[in-house]
Amino acid sequence: MLRFTVRRLVSGVILLFVISSVAFLLLNLGAGDVGRRILGPAATADTVALKNEQLGVSEPVIGRYFDWLGHALTGDFGTSWFTSQSVEQAIFSRLAVTLSIVIGATVVSGVIATVLGVWAARRRGWADKLVQVIAVLGFAIPGFLIAIFLVNVFALNLHWFKPTGYVQMSASFTGWLSSVTLPIAALSIGAIAAIVQQVRGSVIDAQRQDWVRTLRSRGLSENRIVYKHVLRNAGGPALAVLAVQFIGLVGGAVIVEQIFAIPGLGQISVSATAQGDVPLVMGLVVVVGALVVIVNLLIDLIQGFLNPKVRVS
Amino acid sequence: MFHWKKAVVILTAAALALTGCTAAGSADSADSSGGTLTLGLITPVSSFSAQGANWANQSPYMQAVYDSLLKADADGTIEPNLATEWSYNDDNTVLTLTLRDDVKFTDGTPFNADAAAQNLIRFRDGTSPNASFLVNLADAKAIDDTHVELTLSAPDPAMLTYLTQNAGLQESPAAFSSADVETVPVGSGPYTLNVGETVAGNSYVFDKNPDYWNPDDQHYDKVVMNYYADSTSLLNAIQGGQVNASTTIDNTTLDQISAAGYTLSPIENNWWGLIIGDRDGTLSPPIADPKVRQALNYAFDRNAMLQAFADGNGTVTEQIFPTTSPSYDESLNETYDYDPAKAKELLAEAGYPDGFDLTMPSSAGFGASNFALIQQQLADVGIRVTFEDLQVNDYITALVSGKYPVALMALQLDPTDWQLAQFSIDKSATFNGFHTDDPTVQGYITQLQTGTQEEAETAGKELNKYIVEQGWFAPWFRPELNFVSDANTDLTVQVGNSYPYLWNITPKG
Repeated sequence: MLRFTVRRLVSGVILLFVISSVAFLLLNLGAGDVGRRILGPAATADTVALKNEQLGVSEPVIGRYFDWLGHALTGDFGTSWFTSQSVEQAIFSRLAVTLSIVIGATVVSGVIATVLGVWAARRRGWADKLVQVIAVLGFAIPGFLIAIFLVNVFALNLHWFKPTGYVQMSASFTGWLSSVTLPIAALSIGAIAAIVQQVRGSVIDAQRQDWVRTLRSRGLSENRIVYKHVLRNAGGPALAVLAVQFIGLVGGAVIVEQIFAIPGLGQISVSATAQGDVPLVMGLVVVVGALVVIVNLLIDLIQGFLNPKVRVS
Repeated sequence: MFHWKKAVVILTAAALALTGCTAAGSADSADSSGGTLTLGLITPVSSFSAQGANWANQSPYMQAVYDSLLKADADGTIEPNLATEWSYNDDNTVLTLTLRDDVKFTDGTPFNADAAAQNLIRFRDGTSPNASFLVNLADAKAIDDTHVELTLSAPDPAMLTYLTQNAGLQESPAAFSSADVETVPVGSGPYTLNVGETVAGNSYVFDKNPDYWNPDDQHYDKVVMNYYADSTSLLNAIQGGQVNASTTIDNTTLDQISAAGYTLSPIENNWWGLIIGDRDGTLSPPIADPKVRQALNYAFDRNAMLQAFADGNGTVTEQIFPTTSPSYDESLNETYDYDPAKAKELLAEAGYPDGFDLTMPSSAGFGASNFALIQQQLADVGIRVTFEDLQVNDYITALVSGKYPVALMALQLDPTDWQLAQFSIDKSATFNGFHTDDPTVQGYITQLQTGTQEEAETAGKELNKYIVEQGWFAPWFRPELNFVSDANTDLTVQVGNSYPYLWNITPKG
């Protein structure tokens, strides 16, 4: 298990290196006039030239890349070109905000999808059809439309929540809960739709296995068979989907944070990418890339914990 | 044995632990009592350093923490601020300012003439988008603690106005070398940045400066400035009552904003239309002929352009000077009534009876469908337009470097004629991309710079008339920018600035 973990971590580092190198080259090859982008139309050509000189963007891309890499390896990702904030501070002050929404949405979608999936698999008939219709709808409707709908109904008309903003948990737990409820709901619906199908299918497959018939013949209750044995067996594939969904939810948070004006990674991802804020985008590439590597590794380890048959020795 | 319930509890606890460990600002509801003012803005702070300060939509951030040497009232009239008196020498090349002697920066450093001189030189040599405001500043030096002398390389009629804006902001010299100079401002302004509650790029929190020298300008105990990146979140915040006052992005949302109980305060601060820049015919020989440029002006139905681009909110115009300028001439707006037949006639007279081909830039930032309207209106008079699509910022770079003979643009209406000339008319102006050097135009600009007030006003009027008749531009309209305020907030819009000045936003009554 240790060798497996180390191997995965090393491959993750190589992956990060490749992704960041490609991203740096793509961002810089199409960068255009960086100084003008930062200073806008009012600046004179002389001021723009001075800005470009200060940023060193007229140097060859390869040289800048190794300069960036050298600093990045020491944890120095530079300063945002557009907000003058250090990239590390900009990202890590927002990482927790995004994780609170994404982890919240993962937990909520995992729990609800499991309940609905098991219910559909056990009841079949109309319940199964209903869950499948809900899953198709949830999958088909874009997250941003769901977000706008939720804001209009629950914030602007019913006034149950505030339409924008984020309250940190340390300031007020109920305020935090209130500020993340709609974003989590908006993110969760699509994820539930994806996971519920997997849970349903896995449970139905598991229920047909010989060992389930054996358990029934031994007189175990149906609830015990499903929740203690079938679900555990079906958990692996569902977890794999959940892992994919977690990564997808980080992407989904980009739009949802924008709509709810939440100061998370999504919001700066949009603005940094649109502006061509190379230092910030590079920091985001590395941090989100590392997050993906770590989540995938954790899911592999959890799957091994859940089902000894897939455990890597 | 795996326990689902335990796993859920652990995952939830992990989530809570992760989310509780760092700070994030709150875009909490607005307290409309006068205690807290919550503002909506459409741009975050690019730099809190006075040297690199932006203005326009970023002016509230700067005005919260910094004082400027001079102050402009809502109609642009210069008033005292940190400088109580000012005077020029006879040829307007030496400006002497008398400074207050009772002001301290929030770090305890006293404000004096030496600090003022250092700030002016730093701004001139820095990379603020408006660093060119002080391009004529040859030197600034302290005569004594309360007098600073600015030596100009040439008279600059807008210098006093510049000193009311970012060029006049005063930062503690002790902060110049700080590692946090870009993110932690140290000024003498009415508020101080609450770094702990601020989330850069999202929400900026300012606390009242208890030692401020001019408490009359402190209308609130706390000011929160929230940045909204798109019109949807801004509209939601306004409809949800989360801001007391805000700028707006999209004129199509104004009905919803009014319905939410907000008062609209319109202002026209820029003009939209074509920069017909290639006046010497370098890239497109037909453009060198004034008749062709006039034809371009006759070709457009300005009311249709206003409707398409700004949902009908604004005023059609044929001149680039603002109504507040002494050079503005209402009669010039009857120079080019929409007349495609007249346009064709002028093209024929210029030797282009079958029209000509024209390459123009386009960008999604201006609304993709609007370019089809431009193409159609020019096609109606025989000008066949091919668009080359660019990113917004590449678009601006292309314009200022003279890459396209004709281009759509939205340009600011500067508060003084001199500024406007320096920005878009003068041979070295940023938006005179081809650097057209017309002796008549330069003569009027020299009069603006060195003439008496009467001579300058006459020259401004003549300049405006000349460039309209010569078709230097094809202006269409001035769009309305609407600033909105709730029932508990009063405000006065600022001539020549996108955002009202902070001290002009007050509790109702």
